[in-house]
Amino acid sequence: MDTSNPSAFVNAELLPNFIGKKVRAVVQVHQSDGGVAIGKSTDGSQLTVKGLPQVPAMNYIEVIGIAESNQLINAEIWTDFGNTFDTDSYNKLCQLANGEFRSLFL
Amino acid sequence: MFSGSQLDATAAFSGGGFMTTESTQINDSSSLPARSRETQGLVPVTVKQISEASQSGDEKSNFIINGVDVTNVTLVGMVFEKVDRNTDVSFVLDDGTGRIKSRRWVNEPFDTKEMEQIRDGMYVRVNGHLKSFQGVKQVVAFSIRPVMSFDEISFHFIDCIHNHLHAKAKVEGVTPAHPPSINSSQVSNGTQAPSSNPLYAQYSMDGLKDCDKLVLDYLNQHSDMSDDRGIHVNELARELKLPLEKIMLALKALGDDGLVYSTIDDNHYKQA
Repeated sequence: MDTSNPSAFVNAELLPNFIGKKVRAVVQVHQSDGGVAIGKSTDGSQLTVKGLPQVPAMNYIEVIGIAESNQLINAEIWTDFGNTFDTDSYNKLCQLANGEFRSLFL
Repeated sequence: MFSGSQLDATAAFSGGGFMTTESTQINDSSSLPARSRETQGLVPVTVKQISEASQSGDEKSNFIINGVDVTNVTLVGMVFEKVDRNTDVSFVLDDGTGRIKSRRWVNEPFDTKEMEQIRDGMYVRVNGHLKSFQGVKQVVAFSIRPVMSFDEISFHFIDCIHNHLHAKAKVEGVTPAHPPSINSSQVSNGTQAPSSNPLYAQYSMDGLKDCDKLVLDYLNQHSDMSDDRGIHVNELARELKLPLEKIMLALKALGDDGLVYSTIDDNHYKQA
């Protein structure tokens, strides 16, 4: 059992709270050129992701990595969630997991 | 596990007399709370919750999460460090809140087949038995399936929160209001409330109307298009913590209004 290195569920609003720490976010990729991708967070803001390979535009990608700045995540692991994903539920989950129910997650 | 209560159901149906139903009520009220504490089913949890779970006794005893005994858990996370052996497959499950060791025994060809498709870095749903081995908690999995729709990830964690709230309400929220509400329900309904079932007392304060709504809501929430059988009356009684007699009355009222209908037999219902 190891809970020393969790990755927090974040949207763009919550990302600044985790600079230098491990986070996970779902981003709808608008533009990717193999290396740096720009996309939309689940709360509708722009996020930049480093370390992503070429992915299909408009697909939802989950990235797990280090929060480098307020809008930048350096991805270590990524998963293509496909082109349909309920971002509202995920966004709500981000809020709950960092708010009232933080003790279940971090 | 159902045999006892199914007998009660038949008694309630065939008899219809006051004596029969009353005895059903007594049976139900005494067995229900005990049963709901014993068998929790598959509890959705995070690895963080497991790491904080305490054991009530030695290594063989149950784990306690949210103040409730937990044996079997369901988790969603990523597979890492998968190692195939002759008799088992071991891996580490990372759900973002932590990592836990997991093991799947492979006895049947089915087990081998299910494990062949699992690879490192894959999102999976793991159902298993929570165990402590040499002081280290681990999950002995009996089912590992790749996550096909990634909304299942959001769902799982929301499910964990929901279960946490549900258990909290059960552990904390029932004792103080207990005696007065029993009295009021006895007066307002003129029926005998089973005193050992505090949740029933809470629900029954507004009379039958509330009960109808609970039944309808439950059928609505647990309706599955692929399952034609619907929900068994015993499940309704068990999940809603209401005596079978109340459930049957509610179903009859709802049936008369055309809101529910019985399916394969008189014990299974679906929402219309």
